[in-house]
Amino acid sequence: MKSINVAVVGFGNVGRAFVKTLALKRKTLSEKYGININVVAIADSKGMVIKPSGLDDYEMLKLCEVPKSGIHMFGSYAKQGVDIAEIYDKAAPNIHVELTPANYATGEPGYTNIVFALKRGAHVVTANKAPLVLYYREIVEEARIRRLMIKFRATVMGGTPFLEMLSSMKSHDIEKVEGILNATTNYILTEMHENLLDFEQALRKAQALGIAEADPSLDIEGFDAAAKLVIISYVIGKPINISSIYRESVAQISLKDVLDAVKQGHVIKYVAALDAQKMVASVKIEKVPRDNVFAQINGTLNGVRIKSDATELFFIGRGGGRIETAHTVLDDVIEVALRGSA
Amino acid sequence: MSDRSNLCVIKVGGSLLKDSGSYIEAAKNVKRFVENNQLPIIVVSAAKGITDTLLEVAKGSVESFNKVFDVYTEIARELGSQRVFKRVLDELEILKRIAYSVSGGYDPSLQDLIVSFGERISKILMVEALEVVGVRALELNARELIVTNDVHGDATIDYIATANHLEKIVNSIVSTAAVPVIEGFIGATEDGRTTTLGRGGSDYTATSIAALLKLNDVYLVTEVDGILTADPSIISTARIVKVMSYAEAMEAAMHGAKRINPKAFEPLEKFYSSTVYIGSWRLFGTKILQVIPGECKGPKVIMHKTSHEMPYIAIIGEGVANVSFIKKVVDIIYESGVEVMGLQTYYYRPSIIIHVKRGSEISTLKLLHRKIFEEVE
Repeated sequence: MKSINVAVVGFGNVGRAFVKTLALKRKTLSEKYGININVVAIADSKGMVIKPSGLDDYEMLKLCEVPKSGIHMFGSYAKQGVDIAEIYDKAAPNIHVELTPANYATGEPGYTNIVFALKRGAHVVTANKAPLVLYYREIVEEARIRRLMIKFRATVMGGTPFLEMLSSMKSHDIEKVEGILNATTNYILTEMHENLLDFEQALRKAQALGIAEADPSLDIEGFDAAAKLVIISYVIGKPINISSIYRESVAQISLKDVLDAVKQGHVIKYVAALDAQKMVASVKIEKVPRDNVFAQINGTLNGVRIKSDATELFFIGRGGGRIETAHTVLDDVIEVALRGSA
Repeated sequence: MSDRSNLCVIKVGGSLLKDSGSYIEAAKNVKRFVENNQLPIIVVSAAKGITDTLLEVAKGSVESFNKVFDVYTEIARELGSQRVFKRVLDELEILKRIAYSVSGGYDPSLQDLIVSFGERISKILMVEALEVVGVRALELNARELIVTNDVHGDATIDYIATANHLEKIVNSIVSTAAVPVIEGFIGATEDGRTTTLGRGGSDYTATSIAALLKLNDVYLVTEVDGILTADPSIISTARIVKVMSYAEAMEAAMHGAKRINPKAFEPLEKFYSSTVYIGSWRLFGTKILQVIPGECKGPKVIMHKTSHEMPYIAIIGEGVANVSFIKKVVDIIYESGVEVMGLQTYYYRPSIIIHVKRGSEISTLKLLHRKIFEEVE
């Protein structure tokens, strides 16, 4: 039985769902794959727990019950303040799971944590897009020279293995990737079409249901979808810069626009597109014919079309639900554990 | 597979949960099960009165939100842990955000979401109370485990999807030896929208979990010792019914019996015939089985109800539709001179319905209770 030590940094919705999923499934995983995944440390923004011998299932599930940013209240093994070096000194994790929130201004704290982990010899799995969008080359190079893996399947269509599939299309010349990459704005637009809510009402409903953040600007200004296009561009080997992506705000759509579009047999969608031949990318409001595939992608679903020189593929799935994303993160951890030299 | 023979389900009704003392009291009683080598899955309702108050919150009442806030923060404060107090505040903060986003127009999905906080916070408090009395406990999330259709306000459980979820976690939970606590009354659709299960929904959650996990015993805890032969506010001599069948319980529920939710028997009929115990922490006086032995057949409950402005008396019990029992009832009525508007019974149903004149239902009820339940012995 191969034993893998994991440190989880960032303990919000996805972090908790990841730890809970692991606690509930790791017995089955160890029987199935012969790997024993130990969580040796968890950190949130204000504190951390470190247990070099690994937290047991009960402890992991109890940790998921602590209040927001309240890991320091856990009692045993918990302390106030976060010191990633202390985690590595005391527990020497083999895999670093970086689940801190995205900060597109600086990439922090994700970028520093990821580089630190790589320098200390840990493979990295992350769902945080910002460090990759801003420092993809640096991170990948750091991993490459140390023969470590950096996995980030959960960053685009987090509930699906989309990125894995895209990166496996190695013989293809990818010409275009386009689709609905942001679940929050797609939900808002669906509400506007189906329940005839205006943008503000639909946004408020999305916030009430926990689909939109209290500050939804990253989603509605197209920044989140643009960040995903950047990651896609790196994966297919045709990198673009986020500042070069043309973005429109979904907030400018009125209920009248929706009604006009419907009268004309269209629906309004917020479409992110990367033209890898022209090397241009955009996140735009588009009128899509009602019988178009994208018109059927509603609610929190995501849908992407990949056009290569050889084929055209559609990929539809849940975007970023915490449970689905946690499973994708766990899939990355399992893959690293199975393939890595850790 | 882990040993599940010691698993059972206990539903703690909201009428029992009034303050921190009642959460501790419930926890101490759960502890007795644990000390008896049982591992109960606790299905918890919202604290008393909270669901109705949350329905007002869903209509935009700030005062009602403040009431929920006060009740739950006081219980959390009195239970003592800073961690749980903060946790409850976090939940209330989310509730507040949702409640304030409700602006005009009835939205059943938002109403269900708002109402669900009654059970969500109650669960946190129950887990804390269990730990205060020295019982290891864990939260389960009904919105991840109980899958329903999208009929907001009266959703029906998708048994297959729910069974899949429960099966996946049960072994892990059993291996932690911690008492799992789950919210009753709430669930979620396949795509994650919160739903509620309608009146008596916590019983339905409890029996569904028991039936889907094939557990033998379900305890539905309320403030009375069991189901009574009649409404004690009308008939002071009403006594506890010791054994009933599912069919009798469902028939009684159809005629409006309190403390029985007809939906709760559906999973038991379909998947596994768990024994349902109804009563208080002091005494689980009523046992409900799928099939009752022959000697237990006969009248169990008598009640009155009004349908289409016509009052009627219902006598519930397997075997009451046979000719000799019908004759007995007819004889009692005939001898007492009660004016009957109609009498209805079918061989396949465990009931006799006697339509009486308006104003005479209570006296007839008392007469029949005395003759059938009291003078037999």
